[in-house]
Amino acid sequence: MLTNYTIDGFENVKYQGFGKLKFIENQLSNLFQRYGYCQVEIPSFENYEFYQDEQGINQDELFKLVNSSGKILALKPDATLPITRIAAINHHDPEEIIKFCYLTTIYKDFTSPEISKYETTQAGVEYFGNSDPSCDGEIVALAIESLKNLKVDDIHVDIGNVEFINSILDKLYLSQVNRDKLFKLIENKNIADLKEFLDSNTTISDEYKRVILELPQLYGKPEEVFTQMKELAITPKMESVLNYLKEVVTYLESLGFKDNINIDIGFTNRMSYYTGLIFKVYLPELGEPIVNGGRYDSLSRKFGIDRPACGFSIDMVSLLNYLEGQDLFENSEKTKNIIIYQPELRDKAFEMCNDIRSQGGSAEMFVSKGEFNNQVTRILKNAHYDNSNFYELNDEGLFQWKNNQKVKTSQSGLL
Amino acid sequence: MEKQSKSKNQPIRIALAKGRVARQAIKVLENLGYVFPDYSKESRKLVFRDKDDQLAFFLVKSPDVPTYVENGTADIGIVGRDILLEHPADVYELLNLDFGRCKMCVAGFEDLDISFNKKLTVATKYPNIAKTYFDSIDQPAEYIYLGGSVELAPVLGMSDCIVDIVETGTTLKENKLVVERDILDISSRLIANKVSLKTKKDKITPIINRFEQELKNENNKKSSSK
Repeated sequence: MLTNYTIDGFENVKYQGFGKLKFIENQLSNLFQRYGYCQVEIPSFENYEFYQDEQGINQDELFKLVNSSGKILALKPDATLPITRIAAINHHDPEEIIKFCYLTTIYKDFTSPEISKYETTQAGVEYFGNSDPSCDGEIVALAIESLKNLKVDDIHVDIGNVEFINSILDKLYLSQVNRDKLFKLIENKNIADLKEFLDSNTTISDEYKRVILELPQLYGKPEEVFTQMKELAITPKMESVLNYLKEVVTYLESLGFKDNINIDIGFTNRMSYYTGLIFKVYLPELGEPIVNGGRYDSLSRKFGIDRPACGFSIDMVSLLNYLEGQDLFENSEKTKNIIIYQPELRDKAFEMCNDIRSQGGSAEMFVSKGEFNNQVTRILKNAHYDNSNFYELNDEGLFQWKNNQKVKTSQSGLL
Repeated sequence: MEKQSKSKNQPIRIALAKGRVARQAIKVLENLGYVFPDYSKESRKLVFRDKDDQLAFFLVKSPDVPTYVENGTADIGIVGRDILLEHPADVYELLNLDFGRCKMCVAGFEDLDISFNKKLTVATKYPNIAKTYFDSIDQPAEYIYLGGSVELAPVLGMSDCIVDIVETGTTLKENKLVVERDILDISSRLIANKVSLKTKKDKITPIINRFEQELKNENNKKSSSK
């Protein structure tokens, strides 16, 4: 009995959790469709080669398979790349506007020393063919709207832009190892070690050093950060990134999301295909961001079509856990009606059950075997049946199990 | 709704690594004006709140500090750099607190020969740090993980050398071991949860600023007394 048949890192969502998950899924896909996004199904497998040069994913974290003709496939570790591929093979004109939404499972080794996890469910949207800041604005706004729609109200959005840092790092001509190291220090706001790193590096000019040391501090309310950024913008590229961000922020402010947004220039998204604006959504008491998104204008080129794109994904498992923890679900559980019948009264039991079901209730049937109370006890072994109504149908009439007693009841009292 | 306002009024939670680091950190907190009525060195309590309910700290084993902070159970943590390098966590490393100073070293008997044509056996509490270091100098090595009293390993002939923290060097000397190489400088770091820093910015930033100010004062004192 004690043998462990659990498959590490794969969860079962069951009973109430399943209903809640479906509820969230429906709410989200309804919302996305009301904003004009078409839902697409994404295949479970993706060509392994597409992920080989993706630095954001360690090759060891992927599940790889070989198909019957010897081609290597991977269980998809993200949704954005397959959707970009689908958009590219079905829509050949780069100027087409394409809006897709999805709900899918992704597979990867997410395991950290504390938890083992190999799959998660994501919902998200991808918007192709629009390179205007208003497109970024729409995407961020929809991410906020998705959570508001589920009655979450303490929403924190961090908006950044990978180009601001990259335009400086590009000018330093560092080796990839040192560049990654420098980036990590900026991202972790590790000013002490960042200083040490810059002091030991003689090839970086003092002007760049001054700017780089300020980068980890570039977070907070938009107006403050924009003033700091203006001072640090030593290249025209940085200047244009600043103006782009300002436009997106104005867009969001006019939608009334001023209090939800912060700017943070010193962060990255894991995937290296992001090219411009990136954002994350945080909820209090949740250690990880719940939404990740941003602009990835060059990913589609991989599939032969050059088209700008922007999107986000929501981690559904974290969202479910958060909503459950905050009691943000209305209890939609139906009371169960259990009818235990004598074999010769089966037709009568059928009729009763169908009555209950046709009125929207839940009804289950069991053949009577032995004492009523023993059968009730056996069914109650699964806590799922707590608070159910138990009935016994025999030739003396209908009885209900109430306060550990068998009580005669009339059929009209059912439900 | 009620739940949220409750979470907003919660004190900022700090995870401290038990022992020397915690004692020094608590001294700094008290210097900053926080009063912990329940705290004494002998107390066996695990969570302490300051009298204004602004701050709560708890004492945990040092490798657990990054875990609590990454998870968000603690908003801030104070822990040695050795732990952060050995157990990398996705957290902000905001300040170098400059206390708990020591060195991560390779130590062995005086005649130890570190050369690339001979494979070393290394006993250590820090296999990741040791491996990163020996890989960086292309030294082939095998690692034995030990939970404590690492010095024993070369003495009993289980390993050629050790990688460990050296503070005063007394333990090494008494076992006739010497420092062969310095790997890293270690000191305590103030780390913060990535979400907390954003969602509780108004409460966390002042605490961090006061730590920073305290650091500057300390440094000024040091340089003026020199």
